[in-house]
Amino acid sequence: MTSTIGSATATKGAAPGPGAAARRRRRGRRFLTPPWWFAAPALAVYALVVLYPALAGMVYAFTDWNGLGERNFVGLDNFSRLFGDESARGSLLNTLLLTVAIVLVQNGIGLLLALGVHTRIKSRSVLRVVFFAPAVVSPVMVAFLWKYIYNPAPDAGLNGILGAVGLGGLRQDWLGDPGLALWSVAGMVIWQFAGYSMVIFLAGLEGVPAELHEAAMIDGAGRWQRFRHVTWPLLAPAVTINLMLSTIGGLKLFDQVYAATNGGPGYASETLSTVLYKQAFVFGNFGYSTAIALVLALFVAAVSMVQVYYLRGREVSG
Amino acid sequence: MSPRYGLRTFGLELVMIAAAVAFLFPVYALITMSLKDPRQIAESPLGLPTSPKTDNYANAWTRAEIGPALMNSTVITVVSLIGLIAIGSLAAYYLSRQATRLGYGMYMLFLLGIVLPFQLGMIPLFKLVDAAGLLGGYPGIILFYTGVQLPFTIFLYTGFVRALPADYANAALIDGAGHFRAFTQVVFPLLRPITGTVLILNAVFIWNDLLTPLLYLAGSTRETVPVRIFAFVGQYVSDNGLVFAGLVLASLPILAVFLVLQKYVIKGFASGLKG
Amino acid sequence: MTSSLRTASLSRRGFLGLGGGIAAMGALAACGGTSGSGGAGKLQLVGVADQQKAVEQLVNAYGKAEFEVSFAPTDQVQTSVRTRLGAGNAPDVHVVYPGNGSAMSMVQISAAGLLADLSDQPWVKRIPSTLKPAFQNDGKTYVYSAGSSVIGAVYNKKVFQDAGVEPPTTWSGFLDVCEKIKAEGTTPIALGAQTPWVTQLITYALVPSTVYAKNPRFDEQMKAGSASFADSGWAEALEMYLELQKRGFFNDNPNGTTFEQQTAMVATGKAAMAIQVSAVLPDFRKQAAAEDALGMFPVPGADDEKNCWIPAGVTVGLGVSARSKNLDEAKAFLAFLGEQKNMNAWAEAVACIPLTRDASSKVDPVLEPFLPFIDGGKAVPFMDQAWPNAEIQPAHFAAVQELLGGRTTIPEALAGLDEIYRKKS
Repeated sequence: MTSTIGSATATKGAAPGPGAAARRRRRGRRFLTPPWWFAAPALAVYALVVLYPALAGMVYAFTDWNGLGERNFVGLDNFSRLFGDESARGSLLNTLLLTVAIVLVQNGIGLLLALGVHTRIKSRSVLRVVFFAPAVVSPVMVAFLWKYIYNPAPDAGLNGILGAVGLGGLRQDWLGDPGLALWSVAGMVIWQFAGYSMVIFLAGLEGVPAELHEAAMIDGAGRWQRFRHVTWPLLAPAVTINLMLSTIGGLKLFDQVYAATNGGPGYASETLSTVLYKQAFVFGNFGYSTAIALVLALFVAAVSMVQVYYLRGREVSG
Repeated sequence: MSPRYGLRTFGLELVMIAAAVAFLFPVYALITMSLKDPRQIAESPLGLPTSPKTDNYANAWTRAEIGPALMNSTVITVVSLIGLIAIGSLAAYYLSRQATRLGYGMYMLFLLGIVLPFQLGMIPLFKLVDAAGLLGGYPGIILFYTGVQLPFTIFLYTGFVRALPADYANAALIDGAGHFRAFTQVVFPLLRPITGTVLILNAVFIWNDLLTPLLYLAGSTRETVPVRIFAFVGQYVSDNGLVFAGLVLASLPILAVFLVLQKYVIKGFASGLKG
Repeated sequence: MTSSLRTASLSRRGFLGLGGGIAAMGALAACGGTSGSGGAGKLQLVGVADQQKAVEQLVNAYGKAEFEVSFAPTDQVQTSVRTRLGAGNAPDVHVVYPGNGSAMSMVQISAAGLLADLSDQPWVKRIPSTLKPAFQNDGKTYVYSAGSSVIGAVYNKKVFQDAGVEPPTTWSGFLDVCEKIKAEGTTPIALGAQTPWVTQLITYALVPSTVYAKNPRFDEQMKAGSASFADSGWAEALEMYLELQKRGFFNDNPNGTTFEQQTAMVATGKAAMAIQVSAVLPDFRKQAAAEDALGMFPVPGADDEKNCWIPAGVTVGLGVSARSKNLDEAKAFLAFLGEQKNMNAWAEAVACIPLTRDASSKVDPVLEPFLPFIDGGKAVPFMDQAWPNAEIQPAHFAAVQELLGGRTTIPEALAGLDEIYRKKS
C-alpha cells in the first residue's frame, strides 16, 4: 500500500538490468507504455499558463519595480532585505503557528468525524454532507460570515450562544484580541475544512477490510487496540495526503486571513502571504513582493518534500 | 464498525448529531440573517426572523444581475472541467505507467504547480493573454483554469491510476487496440470514481474564484457569478440581509452539484487510496 | 481622502480581501478569442463599488459612447487594476485616488506616465486652489473627482435628546457630552476598529485642529524634513484619541468590532455617535428608524473655537489611461462628468459636497454645519493625500489598533510612522 506520492519514487528505481530477458522485458514494456504524446497537451498548457509566467515573473524579484514604472536590476537586494526584515520574521512565525494549528486540529477533528460517520448510525449519509458542505463555499464568503460570528458584543454571534448555554465566561474578543486573532482565523479555517479531511479519512477507512477487524475482535482486542493496530496503520496513505494538503494550504493561506483580519489587530495575524500581497498591491513594492513569493514557494516545496519523505517511511514500516 | 445498532451506536448517533448542530451554527446565522432587514439584524442579531422576508433574495437576484452571470459561470466551469479531465487523465495515465527518470521528473514538475504562489506569474500571464487577444471572452479564462488546476488534477489521477491493475489495458493492447483506444474504452471508464472527485474539487475552485474573472472579464458580457456578487456586496456592504442573501445565491449551485456527486467524491478518494 | 473615499473605501470594502488565494492568475494561448479588451469604440471603465451608483447613472445619461463598466470592492479593484497597469493594458477609464499616499493614487500612477493629462478640460479651471494638490502633479491635472467628503460625528438625534445634550463646539464640551451620555447608560462613541480604515478617522478628525490650525505649512515642512509626526500635534491628537478610550467612551473591544457593527450600534441607539466619513451616511441611514434620525457635526478638536478645523478630502475619482486606444472618447466622457450638473449628480449619489456649487447643487442637509469651515478655509485634505508613499497609511491603521490594544505607546507609534515617511519611493 503506497500513497500517491510515495509510489512515484517507488517505481523510479525499477530500471531493467542487463541480459536478453531484460531486453525482452524492456521491449515489452515499451509496447505497453503509453506514447509520450499522452502527456503533451497537459504539458503544453501547463508550461504556457503556469511555468512560463512564473519564470518570467521571477525576474521581478531581482528588480526594484514598483509595479508601474521603470525597473532597475538590483541583484539580491530584495532577498537580503527580506532576511533583515523583522516584520517578515514575525509573519513567518505566524504562518508556522497557523499551519501547525490547522494541520493538527483540522485533521484531528476530521479523523474523529470520519470514525463517527463510518459506523452504523442512521444519520451517517446526512452527516457526511453536513460536515463537508462548508468546504464548497468560497473562502472569502466564509470569512465574511465569520466576522459576524466573531462579533465581540455579548449578545451576538458566538458570544451570544456561549451566554445562552451558560458559558458566558468564555466570551472573547475573537478578532480584536491580538493574542487570539490568529487562532480565531484558524478556527474559521478548521470549521470550513474539517469535513474535507473527514472525506479523505473516510475514503481510507473504507479501504480497511472488515475481516481484519473481525479477526482482531476474535483475538479479544479492545476498541482502542483495534484502532491502534488495525485501522491506524492502514490509514497511513490518507494521513499522508491529508497532512500534505493541509500543510500546503496552511502555509499559503491568504483569502481567509486577509478577509477576516487584514493581518491585524496591528500586525498580530500577519502571515507571509498577506505580507507579500500588501507589498505588491498596497505598498507598490512589486520587486520585493516577488522575492517573498519565491522564498515562500521554496519553503512550501521544501516542507512538503520533507513531510512526504518522512510519512512515506512511516507508511512502509507501518 | 459495530456489528449491530445497539445502545452504544445510539449514543454515538446523538453525539454526532450534536456535533452537526454545533457545526451548523454559522449556517443558521447565514440563513436567518438573509431573511431579515437591516433593522431586524441590528436589533436581534441571533433571533429567528420575526417576519421572514424573501425580498432580500429577490433584490439580490435582480440588483446583482445574477441571471446572465449564472450562464457564464456554468459555461466556464463546465468547459474547464472537460479540458482538465481530458488532458489531466491522459497525462496522469502516461505518468503513472512510466518507470523512467524522465517520467518521474515530469510528475514532480507538475506537482511544483501546487506550491507556487499565485502572484508570481500574474503580470506576465496577463500580458500573454492580452497579446493573444483573449481578454474579455471565454477561451482565455478557460485555458487559464485548465492550466492552473492541472497539477492538483494530475496529483489525484496519478494516485488512482497507480493503484489500478495494468492488466485490463494490457489485455486490450495485446488484442491489437491502439493506446488511445485502450485508454478511452478500457482505462477511462475505470477512472469514474476519481473523476467524480476531480470534478467536484475543481468545480468548487473555479466556481468560487473572483480575482481571475475580475482581471480577464471585467466589464465584458462574460462576467461570472462571484464578480457580480462582489460588486453587489461592495455596494450594499452594510445591508447584511441583502449581502447574505447574495452569498447564499452564489453558493447554491455548487452545493447542489456536490449533493448530486457526494457519493463519487468519497468513493473517488477511497479507491484512490486503496493500493 | 486620498482619500476621501479612498480611505473609506480602501478598506471599507476591504473586508473581502481579494479573491485568488490558492490559485494562480491568468489565461492565454492563441486559440481564437471572442473579443479584445474594450476594443476601439467601447470604453472600458473599472471603478470601486462606492462609485457604482454615481457612475452608472452618468454613463446612462451620456449616450455618446458605448461602455463596458465594472465595479468591485476596493481590494479586488486595486489588485486587478494594478496588475493591468503593470502589464501595460489598463482600462480606458479607471478609479484613481486623489493626491498621493496609496498604490492607486494620482501621484503614484501619473509619475509612471500612465495617466492622461486632463489639464485642458473646462472643469479644471474651477478647482478651488486649496484642493489643487489632490488633482495635480507637476502642474498637470490627472484625476477627476466630484467633490469632498468630510469627517465628523454621525449621531443619533434621539439619544442626544434623551441625554439632554446638543452637538458641542469645543473639545471640553465634547467630553462633557460623552460623559452625560455615558451616565445615561449608553455608549457615547461606537468604534469599529476591526475594519482597518475606520481606525484612522478619529485621528483625522482631530489633526486639523491640533496640527494644521497652528501650522498650515506642516505638510511642506514634513516634505522638507524639518517637521515630524513625533514632534507635532499628531501626538496631541493621539492622546485625545486614547483619552476617549480611557474615559470609557468607546464600546468594549473596539479592535474586534467591525464597521458594520459600528453602524448598527449608532443606528439603533445602542451608541450615541460614530466618528465617520460623510460618504458612509447611507450605510447608517439604511439601519436607522427614519431617514432624519441621524445628524452630523464637526468634531471640535480644540477648546478655542477659532482653532477648530475640519478634515475635508477630495473624494475617490476617475482617471484616463495614457495608453488608451480610445483616448479622445475617454477624455470627452471625463469632460462631460466635469459639467456642473453632472458634478452635482455624482456628489448627491455619494453624499459628498460638490467640488464647485451652483444654484442647483444640493448638499445633504446634515452636512450644512461643515460648509462654513470649507468656505472659511478651515478645512484640510485627508492627511494621507499628502504622504509620499503608500506604506504610511496602513502603518497608521496598525499603530492605532496597537494603541487601542495597549501594545505600543504614542511616541513609539509616531517614531515608527516617521521612519516609514522617510523611506524612499
